[in-house]
Amino acid sequence: MTKTTSILALTRRRFLGGAAALSGLAATGWTGKAFAQEPEKPAEIIVRAWGGSWVAALQAGVSDPFTAATGIAVRHDLTEDNEIQPKVWAAVAQGRVPPIHINWDTTTNATKSALRGVTEDLSDLPNLANTTELAKPVGLEGYPIVNTYGYVYVLAYRPSAFPDGAPTSLQVLLDPKFKGRIALYNDGIGFHFPAQVAGGGSLEDIPGNMEPAWEFIRKVKAQEPLLGEDPDFTTWFQNGEIDLAVTISTNAREAMKNGIDLAWTVPEEGSKFETDGLWIPKGLPANELYWAKQYINFALTVEAQQVWLDGLGLPGVVPGVTPPEGLAGDPSYPTEPADFERLIRVPTAVQVEHESDWFGQFKAIMQG
Amino acid sequence: MQTSKQAYPFRWRVMDAVENTASAVWPSRFSRGLPYLMLLPAALLVLLLVIGMIQIAESSAHRLDRSTFLPSEDYTGANYSQIFSTGLYWTVLWRSLLGSVVVTALCLVFAFPYSYLMVRTSSPLLRKFLLIALFLPFFIGQVVRAYGWLIILGNQGVANGLLGLVGIEPVRLLYNYPAVLFGLVQYMLPFAVLMLAPALAAIPEELESAANSLGASWWRTFTHIVLPLAKPGLVGAGLVVLTLSLTDFAMPAILGGGSQDFIANAIYDQFFRTSDQGMGAALTLILVGIGSLAVGLVFTLFGAGTLAMGRDRK
Amino acid sequence: MNAPLSKTIVIWVMVGMVLIVLSAPTLVVLGASFTSGNIIAFPPDGFSLQWYAKIAMAADLRDAFMRSLAVATICTLIAIPIGTLAGIALSKYAIRFEKTFQVYLLLPFTIPLIGSGIGLMLLFGQMGMLGQIWPIGVACCVINLPFMIWAVSASAGGLDPDLELAAANCGAPPISTFLHVTLPAVMPGVISGSLLMFILALNEFLVSLLLTDARTVTLPVQIYNSIRSIITPDLAAISVVFIACAALVIALLDRLVGLDIFLKSK
Repeated sequence: MTKTTSILALTRRRFLGGAAALSGLAATGWTGKAFAQEPEKPAEIIVRAWGGSWVAALQAGVSDPFTAATGIAVRHDLTEDNEIQPKVWAAVAQGRVPPIHINWDTTTNATKSALRGVTEDLSDLPNLANTTELAKPVGLEGYPIVNTYGYVYVLAYRPSAFPDGAPTSLQVLLDPKFKGRIALYNDGIGFHFPAQVAGGGSLEDIPGNMEPAWEFIRKVKAQEPLLGEDPDFTTWFQNGEIDLAVTISTNAREAMKNGIDLAWTVPEEGSKFETDGLWIPKGLPANELYWAKQYINFALTVEAQQVWLDGLGLPGVVPGVTPPEGLAGDPSYPTEPADFERLIRVPTAVQVEHESDWFGQFKAIMQG
Repeated sequence: MQTSKQAYPFRWRVMDAVENTASAVWPSRFSRGLPYLMLLPAALLVLLLVIGMIQIAESSAHRLDRSTFLPSEDYTGANYSQIFSTGLYWTVLWRSLLGSVVVTALCLVFAFPYSYLMVRTSSPLLRKFLLIALFLPFFIGQVVRAYGWLIILGNQGVANGLLGLVGIEPVRLLYNYPAVLFGLVQYMLPFAVLMLAPALAAIPEELESAANSLGASWWRTFTHIVLPLAKPGLVGAGLVVLTLSLTDFAMPAILGGGSQDFIANAIYDQFFRTSDQGMGAALTLILVGIGSLAVGLVFTLFGAGTLAMGRDRK
Repeated sequence: MNAPLSKTIVIWVMVGMVLIVLSAPTLVVLGASFTSGNIIAFPPDGFSLQWYAKIAMAADLRDAFMRSLAVATICTLIAIPIGTLAGIALSKYAIRFEKTFQVYLLLPFTIPLIGSGIGLMLLFGQMGMLGQIWPIGVACCVINLPFMIWAVSASAGGLDPDLELAAANCGAPPISTFLHVTLPAVMPGVISGSLLMFILALNEFLVSLLLTDARTVTLPVQIYNSIRSIITPDLAAISVVFIACAALVIALLDRLVGLDIFLKSK
């Protein structure tokens, strides 16, 4: 009990009265109407989130104002997105109430859940009317997921290792100077498509012929890359283990915040653009489903997006959000059609169907 | 207890009642079944895992349909045939097997003198110190310990700093096979010592002094007397280290730099990364099979380890 | 010990290496927890207690720690009777199909933890037991049960069968014999086994990850989850608090029963 109060107190201090938040909820009209016959409020809802600065941003931008406006506490479940998946799937398959109300997930992973039929449809969220086309998941019926922002797998580098300026091409990964000092995701995510271009192939050949990508990745393997996940990149840059990495810009920003000299670029081969989203698993009691939807609806307001995405340094899906300092015009912060020209987007449906083969192929090369 | 002064204390009556009930429920002619009755609770507890494994076996017989991300309706051996025809899995399998054998050997070699000193030292203070040094690392979990090694062995870490003092350029000590094995040895050593120490304590010290006074060198005494008598402890410790490192997940993931996967990492990938529960389940069952075969082999070759000690001496 | 010099040297060199390898990460974590920077580093970057202040303020960590204590207690309470009985049975009696029993009872070690976790999640889910603390305790007990059984049976090696026979010949009924002769003899194994079970349950994260939810998350799961996104020195501080608790428990144990009990086999 004391915990709820303290969260509220904290919220009030930080978000002057949560008035902005309330207006965000009420602005929809639909919510205003719903207040008349609004279902019973649960004491709390559980939102799965990534830890560290990710959850801090979500809490400041969405969860705390939501609590201030509704009185419903938000508990964050920091289980990894891919580790919560079997738990949610098993819960739905066994007819249990799922362990979370809302999953903050990659669009690819969320699409698997949507295809499996464990997601609630979110088409009736009023605030969807204000979103850009990025919010709509491609190739799926309705809105089983709402995309909430995009991100880019940039080429992050240590400027001190590049006295002549930023690297321009992925070929730099093959420079003998950087042997053992480059890093990729351990399943190669974010790297398969640019590698296809770097290997002389064409993006149109995905998924039919990805041999150019594998050829290029084999050459990279000879450079003894380190393979890891989000926190590893930050750690490796901090500890001086690597000079170059293909990673999400947010990780590079995190290391920069800790005083590490870093920069990033989109190489001439292009960088992979992806989205993350929010979805609700099936099997919740009706009133909890209602309030979970309210949470997502609120996450689509300008107010919520502004604070949340400032923390992440990523472009949202609602027009009118001001870019964080220094990111306007940055290649990792695409907003205009021209910004997307250098970015690679592959339909989620293609990715979902072939991803495990690509991961397997990448692993086979790297583990050999 | 205040009843102890009575002619027939209350406590005795209770004990009598317990004994009578026990013999009524379990008459002495059933006594041959007693050990099985004692094993029953443990067997039932492990049955929880077996039931889980049956579910896993069931799902391993279905292929994932990637248009619905549901398992296929029909039964198929496709997951298994794919595993056996994929070079990656053979590589990872071989790496785990070789790794666990090497780790086991190293652990036994280093745990032995540690246990020996701990058991044989005449200084209670030293014994306490060795015990505490053994138990404390348990309390920082495997993951945090692995991160400790990242700091020590990193490019700018303590170890490379020391090498720098003698003029050696920084060496990459991490993110390779030896680093994973080293991390595993470090993790398993306390287990090995704890399994070995009771076995060593059971070897009468007089036996060693007798051999020495008959003119045997300490090495001869060691190989001819201590080692054979310590066999049950060695088998027990070896089995624990072998099975736990064969199925380990955290050390290869953290110290391997992503290119030194063990089977457990491949299982993780299937369950959690590619959402292919059937493949993950098939790999799990193969690993359980290999592990159980290895255990059976060790029992056949060396006897039933620590567990047989009480009987051996009859 | 009146050992030859060469033997002393060999033993001490090897023990010295083990001591260094065992303690090095602990010392690094200890040092890193006092850093005034934002990065886990050794030697630490300045000195501060800020990370301790941070974890002292975190109510969720405290709750998670209490849950971990509950899980470890439940695990140990289940393991003691079950493991003791099985350990005595295996070391005292000739059992048919013993090898099969051994392989069966070692399944918790041969099944990879992810497999055990998924299996138990499906099973407990079907039984509607998820979302509570005690099934996590049961799970931690199952996956580490061999340690308990082996600790007991190892110390049963010191059990003199003649002593039990003598008790029986003097007319002691079986349960009295068990309570007054057998049980005291295996006590060192029971104590070291239960301590091990407790510690391992306190630190278990992989199986617990699949059995907990946000309301029942245990401390190691919370640590594991936060490590997945960013590694900050508060983790080192938590570990140091763990070590301090451990040191306290060990000191208490030493006072109460004496640490030597681990090594007494007679």
